[in-house]
This record gives sequence, structure tokens and C-alpha cells, in this order.
Amino acid sequence: MSIASRLRVRVRGGVHPPGSKDFTAAKPIREIEAPSLLTIPMRQHLGAPCVPRVKKGDEVAMGMVIGDCESFVSAPIHSSVSGKVAQVAPQPHPAGGEILAVIVENDGEYRSDPSLSPPGSWEDMNGNAIREAIRAAGIVGLGGAAFPTHVKLNPPREYPIDTVILNGAECEPFLTSDYRLMLEQPDVVLEGLLIIMRVVGAARGIIAIEDNKPQALKKMAAASKDTDIEVSHLRTRYPQGAEKVLITGLLGREVPSGGLPMHVGVVVNNVGTAFAIATYFSTGMPLIKRVVTVTGSIVREPSNLMVPLGTSFAHAIEACGGFTEPPGKVLMGGPMMGLAQYTLDVPVIKGTSGILALSHKETDYAEPSEPVCIRCGRCVEACPMGLIPTYLASYAYNEKWDELRRLDIADCIECGCCNYTCPTKNPMVQLIKMGKAELARLRDRSEKGREASGSAEAKGGGGDG
Amino acid sequence: MATDNLVQTPPPHLRSKEQTAVAMRDVLIALAPVTIAALVAFTYNALFVIAVCVGSCMFFEWAVRKLRKKKVTLRDGSAAVTGLLLALLMPAQIHWLNMIIASFIAIVVIKELMGGLGRNIFNPALFGYVFIITCSGILASWTGHLGFLSAGFDGVTGATPLAFIGPGLESMGPSYGSLLFANYGGAISEVGAFWVLLGGAYLIYRKVIGWVIPTTILATVFVLSYIVGSDGLYQILAGGVMLGAFFMATDWVSSPMFTWGQVIFGLIIGVCIVLIRVFGAPTGAVAYSIIIGNCFVPLLDKVFKPKRFGEVVAA
Repeated sequence: MSIASRLRVRVRGGVHPPGSKDFTAAKPIREIEAPSLLTIPMRQHLGAPCVPRVKKGDEVAMGMVIGDCESFVSAPIHSSVSGKVAQVAPQPHPAGGEILAVIVENDGEYRSDPSLSPPGSWEDMNGNAIREAIRAAGIVGLGGAAFPTHVKLNPPREYPIDTVILNGAECEPFLTSDYRLMLEQPDVVLEGLLIIMRVVGAARGIIAIEDNKPQALKKMAAASKDTDIEVSHLRTRYPQGAEKVLITGLLGREVPSGGLPMHVGVVVNNVGTAFAIATYFSTGMPLIKRVVTVTGSIVREPSNLMVPLGTSFAHAIEACGGFTEPPGKVLMGGPMMGLAQYTLDVPVIKGTSGILALSHKETDYAEPSEPVCIRCGRCVEACPMGLIPTYLASYAYNEKWDELRRLDIADCIECGCCNYTCPTKNPMVQLIKMGKAELARLRDRSEKGREASGSAEAKGGGGDG
Repeated sequence: MATDNLVQTPPPHLRSKEQTAVAMRDVLIALAPVTIAALVAFTYNALFVIAVCVGSCMFFEWAVRKLRKKKVTLRDGSAAVTGLLLALLMPAQIHWLNMIIASFIAIVVIKELMGGLGRNIFNPALFGYVFIITCSGILASWTGHLGFLSAGFDGVTGATPLAFIGPGLESMGPSYGSLLFANYGGAISEVGAFWVLLGGAYLIYRKVIGWVIPTTILATVFVLSYIVGSDGLYQILAGGVMLGAFFMATDWVSSPMFTWGQVIFGLIIGVCIVLIRVFGAPTGAVAYSIIIGNCFVPLLDKVFKPKRFGEVVAA
């Protein structure tokens, strides 16, 4: 099908940070050699962490399960190389703190686990069988959130799915991993979308791409010309790729406050996820590597790399020629939502869409000594969720928990538009995150209090959880 | 690899170039046409008024921040903007002590004592101005010999254009054309509505202010004037309506944040302007009206919240 018209529904909010994609947009995806030691954390997804299935000294093969969990919301973790388990111990994790990890000594032979084989032709499989295969492959949302895909593709019966949206918006500045996949592997990406549509029984599939990527639009339209898949332009704007924003823009449906895309009959998946699914069905190799954009003005050769999971940030950056000057910040992800790292020993995990290095100069912006709001309303205009960020921030700062709930703090998607656009650089999204965390803590505590005392005598805070 | 001293902060790691100082610079640019016109019309008198107001506002800001042991924030430009706006409201032949009192009220009382930038309920410049037009007579009578306090108001020889407001009177006042480009009377900013409009258009173009508040005020004044039998066009061109609509009522801090609140805010101000001008005393009508409007802002912001995403279909 041809390229569909532009965004049908005007979506509110959003900002226009500089795209900064030129560093890597023209760089083909390059395979890199795995390092001699890989640190594979047992938490690479939302949900329950995995339990190691190997111990120190065990031989592992490439693609072998080294961590798994009985819990439904979880996904197994595989070894990215063959070799020997050097250690099982807590290690620095790119999402913060230390997480139990399996450290594999790479023997350089890349022997595949002999038990691996393609799960069969997906056209002959039913939804459950495909979901099981997706779980076995350890596939999670590769856009960054890393929610287990087999769970996402298993909505309750009362929410029938009619549309699958393939998210190729890649609205975060700097990142180009999805873009390169669409250019280089349009057929595989498309097949991934068809598999997802089959799993959830959706008749309609839309590939959504921002209009600053005309080549990707063309490639995906050409690949899908013999199918009913629609390829849709999106206005370039951040956070266009946020699920709720995307759905409204394409279909005019608004996900209810506190709800999920399935509540309006939609499932949204990332381009990288679709690629991983289709790859598993053709090769039988589980998710052991992913495309990572290593970029920034101080990276000598910014590149799109195919990186074995567990490779350290330092190794990936070395593969790009290292830094031209000492970095001020190194982020996992893009500049709007990426997480700042304190060490480059952290590994690339399933949710690592990019590694961005910023110079000291680029990270040097004046922060106010105390939150100041001049009530200009920029944050309100920018908020894609229709919230009032400045009020939320001020209530969080002043610990007014009930007010926070009343203003639907839980709807905040933490895109950071408020903070980006604010003239006084009031750290709103940071305060809102703090408020959310505190509310969650209060809720936990009041639940525990209820359990302990058998009454609703929960202390500490609003407590109406 | 040199990776010491990696900075760790929560996202976002990018900031727009937008800053309070940039917006304030835009306001100063937008005020340039009317300021230049004022200087042409009133020459060194206007220069004196501007110098005293801007200078004293910046001095008071510096002094009060020092006394409160807070960081001096003159560089954000907001004190300079307050000073210039205050100057533009002053008549050309006003005693300097009036201006210093007005600056003190604006910066020390209305801005800093209310908590500083972002916390003032009223527009500081307007409140300083209103304070001296309401109190100068009283102050003068208290102090007797300090006649300077009341001298200077309406000191321009001959009647100002506002003297001709009222059913049927406007035709005796200056023509529309002269009101637009070069009619002198009242405050030093009343040298032609066009120069103010030009600056207002620039502010809307630069997205420093929205169009809702000025449009609602002007439309309300225009329409309501005709309803009460006055000349609407004359009303919006004469006196301080333009300056008030584009530069005073749109003050970020003391105006509503959300669209429908802004509409009501504009309506309140517009209605007050016409009522005060036609049935009360025209001098200061715009200033009083905006201050009345300012009082409603907390309420308006509470009532007219933006529609939340997913609200309509919320389960």
C-alpha cells in the first residue's frame, strides 16, 4: 500500500529539540567483535528478574539460557557468546545500582547451542505457540522500556485488538538504530509486524515513521506494497513515539487515563522488537545482540553497531574510536529520557537503544538554586498528557501528596518536555518522578500496615492509596 | 579511557534556549518603538522619567535581594522591564520622588515581599503606578509643604484624549489617525497606539505572549463601548488600552495560565475598562481594571484546567 496521508489528528504538546541524527543516520549497521568478558545482568526487562541457571565454571554455548524466571512478566536471558562462566555476582547496571549478573569468559569460538532451531513457520502456528516462541527467544520491547513482548501480545479476551502499530518514530534526538533497521532490513521488520498481527489477531497494521526520515518511509512503503500494511507519516516532534501520543495521532483514539493501549484495541511495538521476532523465526537464535547507536559530538566515529548483549559501554565506545575529549556525561538512551552513567563498565542490555556521550560543555546548563515558576505556561503547552507540570513539581517539592493524586501525577510519561522548554529551567520532571516514587512508597507502606495490623490504620501520608 | 568525573543527573539532558532573560530581552525590544516615540515626543523629559524609573527599580531589586540574602537576579532583566513599563505609564513632567515611591512599591512591596519573581499576584509596575495616582493627593495633604507629590499629574497642558470619552464626546477629541501615530497626552507612552501595537505583534510572533488575552481585552472594549453608546475604536486607541492589553495584562506571573481562564480574564478587564472610563474617572482606568483582573487569576486557574489526556473516556 502506498504511503498514507500525514497525521490525521493533531496531537497537543511536545517540543522540537534539535534532531542531531546526522552523526549516524548514514552509517550502516556494523557487527562488532564481542569482548573477552561479557557481563550479562539478570534484569534486562520490566517485571521479575531472572534467576541464574548457571554457576561459576559452567560451560555455556551461544544462545543458551543462563537466566530464567517462573513469573509470567519476565523473559529468559541467554548467553551472547560461547565460553565459561567466570563469576555470578552483582555488577553495576546501566539502570542504576548493582544487579546480579553472569560474567561469561568469551572463548572466541561462537559455538551455538545445538538445541537451538527455528520454531517453525509462524504462518502455521497459533497465537499461543508464537507467544511461547517469543518468550523463549527472550524478546522484550527494544525501544527502551523492555517490557516482555509475550505479555504485551497477550491482552485479556475482553480487549480485542484491531490494530498493531509498528513504532518507527524514533523521536529521541541522536538515535538512529530503528532508522537503520528500516533502511537495511525492511523485509525482516515487515515480517515481524505480520507475526505480531497474527498473534493478537489484528487485521490492520500501521508502520509509523516521522517525516524527517523520508528514506525509511520509502523503503518500508516499497517493502509493504503487496500487503495491506499502511505506512504513515508523523509530524516530527518529541515525544511522537510515546505510545499514547502515537495512537492518538494515527487513530484519533485516546487511551484512558491510567489505561493501556489495549484498552482502545491497539498494540504498539517497536521496529527493533519486530526485527528481533522475525529474526528468531528465521534463524532460531534468541535475542543475544541488538543495534546500538553510539553517538555524540565527542565520539570519534559515531556508528550504529550490532552489539552482543553484555558488552561493556567502554568496549562499544572503543569500537567507535573512543572519545576525542573526556566526556561530561555518558547516557544510555537519548538525551531526553536517557540515563546518565557513572561508569563505562556497565553492559549493553536489551533496552540499550543508544549510548550517547556529551561533552562537559554540552552538559553545562544553568540550573536554578530553587524551583522558580514564572507561570508562563510553556510546560502546560508542552505536556502531551495535558497535565500541569509546574503544579505537580511544586506540590512534589512541598510534599502535598493528596494534591498530586488529584492532578493525576500517575499519568506523567516522564518525557521531559516540561523541563526542556521551561524558561527558568525548573527541574519539573525530576520533582514529578520524586513525587511518584514517594507516592508509591507511601502506598506500599500503607498496604503493609494494613496487612500487619489487620486494619486500615496505615500511618504516614495520605494513605488512601 | 578517561572517564573520571562523569556527571550524573536525571534526564532530560537537553534544555531549550528559552530563558527568562531572553523573554525579557524580547519585551525590551518590543517596547523599543513606543519608547523611541516617547523620546521623540518628550525628549529629555522622557529620558529623565525612564532613567529614574529603570534605575530605581533595578536599585531596589538589588538592595532587597541583598537584604534578603538571596542571589541578585538583575540579569534576568525583569526589574529593568518593570522599570521601563513603569516609566511608560508616567506623565512627562512628574516629580522624581513620585517615581521612586512607585518603584519602591512595585519592586519591594509587590514583587519581592510577595516572594520574588513568579510569586507576585499583581503586576508590579501597574501597582506602583496605581499607588501613586491614588495616594499622591493624600500624601500631599498629609505632608502639606511637599507639594511635589501631587504636582505633575495631568500636568500636560490641555486635555488628554481621555477627557473626550463618553457618549458623543469622542468626535470632539483627536482623530483616529493622530491617536494611532502621534497624539501626545497623558503618559509618555501615549504617543500613538501604533507603536505599542507593533511591539505587541512582535511579542506574539516571538511567542513570548499569547494572542488570547490582548485580543479578548481589545474586542471586549471595542464591542462594549458601542453598547454603552461610546466610540469603540476611539476607546481602544486612546489612553493606555494597547499598552495594558499587550504588555501589562499578559504578564506571565499575574495572568491565568490556561486558555479559558485567559478569555474570562480578558473579558473582566475589558468590561472594567469601559465601565470605569465611561461611568467613572478615565485616568488609570486600564491600570485599575488589570489589577482587578489580577485578583481573579488564582480562581481562574483553579476552575479552568486544561483537558487531561484520556480524561473524557476515563473509566
